[in-house]
Amino acid sequence: MLFFSFFKTLTNQVVTIELKNDIRIRGTLKSVDQYLNIKLDDIDVLDLDKYPHLSSVKNMFIRGSVVRYVVLPRSEVDVGLLEDATRREAANQAGKAR
Amino acid sequence: MSFFGFDTALPRDRASQGGNRGIFDTPDPFAEVARAKAQAHHAGDDDDVLDFEDTYDGLGDRLNDDQDAFNEDTFGDVETGPVGKDFDFFGKTAQVADVIGEEQVRYNLKAPRDPVTAPASETKTTTGASSTVLQQPKRTGYEKYNEPGYIPDLQAKSSVWGLPKKSELAPLALSQARKMMSLEEVEAQLRGQGAAPMPGGPQMALPPHVSEPPHLQRPPHVHGLPEGFQQLPPEFLQAQFARGVPPQMLHSQTMGPEPFPHPAHAPNLPLHPLQTPNSPAPHPVPPPQHQAVPPPRGPHPQQQHPQQQPQQHVQQHSRGPSAQLPLITNPQQLMNLTEEQRVAYLLEDAKRAKRNHKIFLLSKGNGLMTPQDKNFITRIQLQQLVAAAGNVADNDSEAVLAEDFYYQVYSQIRGAPRQHPHQPLGHFAQTYLLQTGNRIGGHGSRKHNQSADNHMQRMQQQVQRAVEAAKAKPKNKQLIIEGSLGKISFGNAKAPKPSLNIKRPESSEGGKATKKPHTDLSLSDHKSILSNIEGVYNTLMELEDLERTMPPPPSEDDSEAIQKHLEWRQKVRALNQKLWQGLKVMEPIVPNSTTPHPFIAFLSYPKGKKAIPRIFRHIDQEQRVTILTMIVVHLDTLDVVRRAHPVPGETQPALPVREAIDLFSQAVMPSLLGYVSEAPFNIIIGLLGLVIAQTHVQFVARTRIGLGILTMLLSRAEIVKEAGQASERDWQQWVEKFNVLFDTLEPIFSDIFPGSINTGDDMYVWQFLAATGIGASPEQQQRLVIAVKDRVMETVTHSKTLPADMASQRLGNVNLFMRAIGLDVELLG
Amino acid sequence: MADTEDVGSSSVSEPLDLVRLSLDEIVFVKLRGDRELKGRLHAYDSHCNLVLGDVEETIYVVEDDENDQEIIRTIKKQEEMLFVRGDSVVLISPQA
Repeated sequence: MLFFSFFKTLTNQVVTIELKNDIRIRGTLKSVDQYLNIKLDDIDVLDLDKYPHLSSVKNMFIRGSVVRYVVLPRSEVDVGLLEDATRREAANQAGKAR
Repeated sequence: MSFFGFDTALPRDRASQGGNRGIFDTPDPFAEVARAKAQAHHAGDDDDVLDFEDTYDGLGDRLNDDQDAFNEDTFGDVETGPVGKDFDFFGKTAQVADVIGEEQVRYNLKAPRDPVTAPASETKTTTGASSTVLQQPKRTGYEKYNEPGYIPDLQAKSSVWGLPKKSELAPLALSQARKMMSLEEVEAQLRGQGAAPMPGGPQMALPPHVSEPPHLQRPPHVHGLPEGFQQLPPEFLQAQFARGVPPQMLHSQTMGPEPFPHPAHAPNLPLHPLQTPNSPAPHPVPPPQHQAVPPPRGPHPQQQHPQQQPQQHVQQHSRGPSAQLPLITNPQQLMNLTEEQRVAYLLEDAKRAKRNHKIFLLSKGNGLMTPQDKNFITRIQLQQLVAAAGNVADNDSEAVLAEDFYYQVYSQIRGAPRQHPHQPLGHFAQTYLLQTGNRIGGHGSRKHNQSADNHMQRMQQQVQRAVEAAKAKPKNKQLIIEGSLGKISFGNAKAPKPSLNIKRPESSEGGKATKKPHTDLSLSDHKSILSNIEGVYNTLMELEDLERTMPPPPSEDDSEAIQKHLEWRQKVRALNQKLWQGLKVMEPIVPNSTTPHPFIAFLSYPKGKKAIPRIFRHIDQEQRVTILTMIVVHLDTLDVVRRAHPVPGETQPALPVREAIDLFSQAVMPSLLGYVSEAPFNIIIGLLGLVIAQTHVQFVARTRIGLGILTMLLSRAEIVKEAGQASERDWQQWVEKFNVLFDTLEPIFSDIFPGSINTGDDMYVWQFLAATGIGASPEQQQRLVIAVKDRVMETVTHSKTLPADMASQRLGNVNLFMRAIGLDVELLG
Repeated sequence: MADTEDVGSSSVSEPLDLVRLSLDEIVFVKLRGDRELKGRLHAYDSHCNLVLGDVEETIYVVEDDENDQEIIRTIKKQEEMLFVRGDSVVLISPQA
C-alpha cells in the first residue's frame, strides 16, 4: 500500500504520465486507487501531433498497468519520509512473509 | 432421452434419484405441480368430459429418463433466457416472487368462480397445493429471529454436499405428496367404484400394477416402461403436429400423467381432518396430499410442514416407489374427446405447462439452502467483515499507520486534512519536520537553500553572541583604522597567496599526511556499511514507535502503572543499546588504517548523515559527546572534508561532494552545534586539543565543515569565558591551544576562502574569522587583520556592484568579523 | 508496526533486502523497451515500483543510417522525481 499511500498525497498536483505506448499526458491527478489506476483532469497530451485522437479529451481514467512513468513535482515529495515509509513497508512485508 | 424435450422422468424415478443428488442437481419441485394444475384446470373447465385418466396415455412410463440432461441442448432453453445462474439464489427467488404473487392473484380470482362443484374443489385443492409450494420462497426462514431470545442452531447441512438429507426433501416431499395422492386416488377408486375399471373407459384408467402397495422396496425403474407407451398411436402425434401444436404442448399433454385427483375422489376429503387448519390458501382447502394419503400411511399429516419437519420426508422418502405407482392412464381417453375440446385442452394445458416450467426453472435453487445454511453463511460473511474492518477499529492508528504511513504523516506535516485526525502523529511529524532541510534536499531547490541558511543563521547567532559578549568588555583599545586596513603598502595584495600554498601543510604536519591515503571501499564493505545503516534506521523507527507508546507518568500508588513504566524504560534502554551498537561508534580506532572507521564510513553515506539528528534525539549527552569526539578526531577523514578540495582548475568541489557538504551542514552540524552550545568548557578545550593533535589542521581549515567545527568550538569557548564560567586554569589551557591553532592557521588565513570573491558563499569563513578574532589577543588580531584585509576590501568593493539586499548580506558577513575585532565596515567608507 | 528488528543489521535474506540497502543511494535500473535509469532510490515495494530522484533516463533506439547500417542512437532525458511502475523493471543494481 506504500505507493497508494504515496499517490494519495499527490492528488490535485500536476503530474506527467508516460504510458507504455510512449504517450505522455500531463494533467492534474484527481484520484488514485490501490491498483494505481489514475484519474487525470485537465489533461494535455504532449506530442499531440502524434496522437491527435486525444486532442479533445479533457480528462481520463488510466489503468495502472499501462503506466510506465509518472513524473512527479519534486517539491511535493518528502523524500526522507518516503524512505522511512519504504522501510516500514519492507518490514511489514517481511513480517507478513514470516 | 425424450425427443421432444418432454420431461420424461417419472415422478417416482425422480424422487428416488433425488436421494442421490448432489448439490448441483436440481430437483423439479414444480413439474408435478405444473401437471397437476394443468390437469386440474382442465378438469375444471371441461368437467367430466376430460379427465386426467383419460388423457394420459402412459407414454411417459416407458421413456428412458436418465439422459434428460441434454434436453436443453437439443431444444434450446427458449423460455428462460440465459442459463448458468444456478447460484443466483436471490435473483431466482426474486423472480419467482413475482410468479408467486401472480399465482396467488390467479388463484383468488379463480376460486370464487366455482366454489361448490366437485371439480372446482379439485381445482382449488390443486391450486392450493401449488400455492403452498409457490409460497415457500416467501417463507424467509428468518421468522424466528423476530423472537428476541431466539438463537439459531447453526450447522452446515450435509445435504448440500450431495448426501440425501433434509434440505432436498422439501421439493422431494412435494412430488412424493403428489404421488401419494395418486395412490390414494387409486385406493379411492378401488373403494368407491369397485374392482371393475374399464381399461379403455373415459373415467377409469387404472392399470393393474398401479395398486401395488406391496412393492415398497422396489427400485423405481422397474416401473419405468409401462405397456401403455406403445399404445400411443402414431397418428395421434401426427395429428398434433399437423395442428401446429408445439412440442411444449405435447409435452404437457403427454407428460401430464399426474395422478391427479379425479372429480370422483372429492368425497375423500373428509378422511383428513388435519388438512384444513394448515392450509395456507385463503379458502381453507386442504393440500391435495392430505386428502390422498390413506390413514395407514402414518406420517402424512406432518407433510403439511415440509420445510419445518423434514425428517418426516425422510420417512416418506424411505417408502420409496410405492407412492408412485398409479401413473397409467389410457391414452385413448384423449381420442375420445371432441376435436375442439382436445384443442382447447391442449392449448390450455400447454399454457400452464409453459408457465409452470418457467416457474420451475426460476426456482431451481429453492430449498437448496435452509435458513440454517443461510444463517451459517451470513455468519461467515459477518465474521469476515468484522475481521477486515476490525483491524481498523481495534488497533486503529497502528494498522492505518502500517498501511498508510506516508499519507498520514505527510498530511500531518503539510497540514492537509487527514482521514484519522485523532491519531497521535504529532510525534512523527516532529521527527520528519526536524529534517525539513534534508528531506527536500539536493541541489537547486529553493527550500533546500533556505534550510541551509537556517543552519548558517544558527551558527551566526552563536558567533554573534560571542561577539556581543566580547564587545561588552573590550580587551584592547580600538585599532587605528589607517594603521591596519588602510595601509595598503603593507600588503602586495596577491603576493601571500602563492607563498602560502607552498609546502606549508606538509612541512608543518607532515606526520599526519599518512592518514590521507584512502583506498576506496570494497563492494562488500559498502554492503555491510549500508546494511549497518539500515539496521540503525530500523532501530530508530522502533524507538520512535516506542516513544509514541510511552505510558503516562506513573503515580506513586499505582504499582501497575509503575511496572508498565519500568518495562517501557527497559525497552527504551535496550533499543538505545542496540542503536549504539549499530552505530559502531565505539569500534577501536585503528591508526593509519586505510579503511575508515565504521562510524566515519556510516557518516559518508547520505542516509547516514540524515540519521544523525534522529539519533541525537534518542541518545544521552555522553553518547553525543562520544559521537562529536569521534567526528572531531576523524575530521580530516570525513568525506565532506577529505573530498572538499576542488580539483585543480575548478573553483569548487564536484557536485556530489557539494551535495554531501550541504547535507552534512544541514543534518549533522546542527546536532553537533546543539551539543556544543551547551557543552562544558573542559570538553571544548579537549576537542580543540584533539583537532590540533589528531588532524591536519590546515587541511581541515580549508573546508567548510572543518571551519564550521572550529567556529563552533571557538565561539562556545568565548561565550563560556564571557559568562564567567571558565576557571583560570581552564582558560590558560584554552589559550594555549588557541595559540597553537592560530599559529598554525595564520599562514593560510587568506586562503581559507572558497574560490574568488565572486563565488559568493563565504559566510562561514567570516564566521570563523569572527570567532577567531574575539578570542585572539590584540597582537593576534592585528595579524588576523593583516592576513584578511585584502579580502575585506574586495568584498566591500564588490558589494557596491551588487543589488542592495545581496550587498548588505555580504557586508553583514564581513561586519561580523569586523565587529569581533572592534571595527565596522562603515568605517571603511 | 510489524517488527522491524530482523530485517536490517547485516542480514540480506531476501532479494529486496538488497534493494533496501540502496535506499537513498544511486541505483541503476534497467527497464523493458531498451531503457535505463540512473537515479537516487527513494522508494520501492515488492512489485518493484520505484520512486527515483534526479533521474537520467537513457533510451536506446536502433536506426538505419544512410547506408542502411544499423546504428544505435541514445536519447537521454532528465527528471527530478520519477515514479516507475514495477512491471517495466528488469533489474535494479546499486551504483557504487
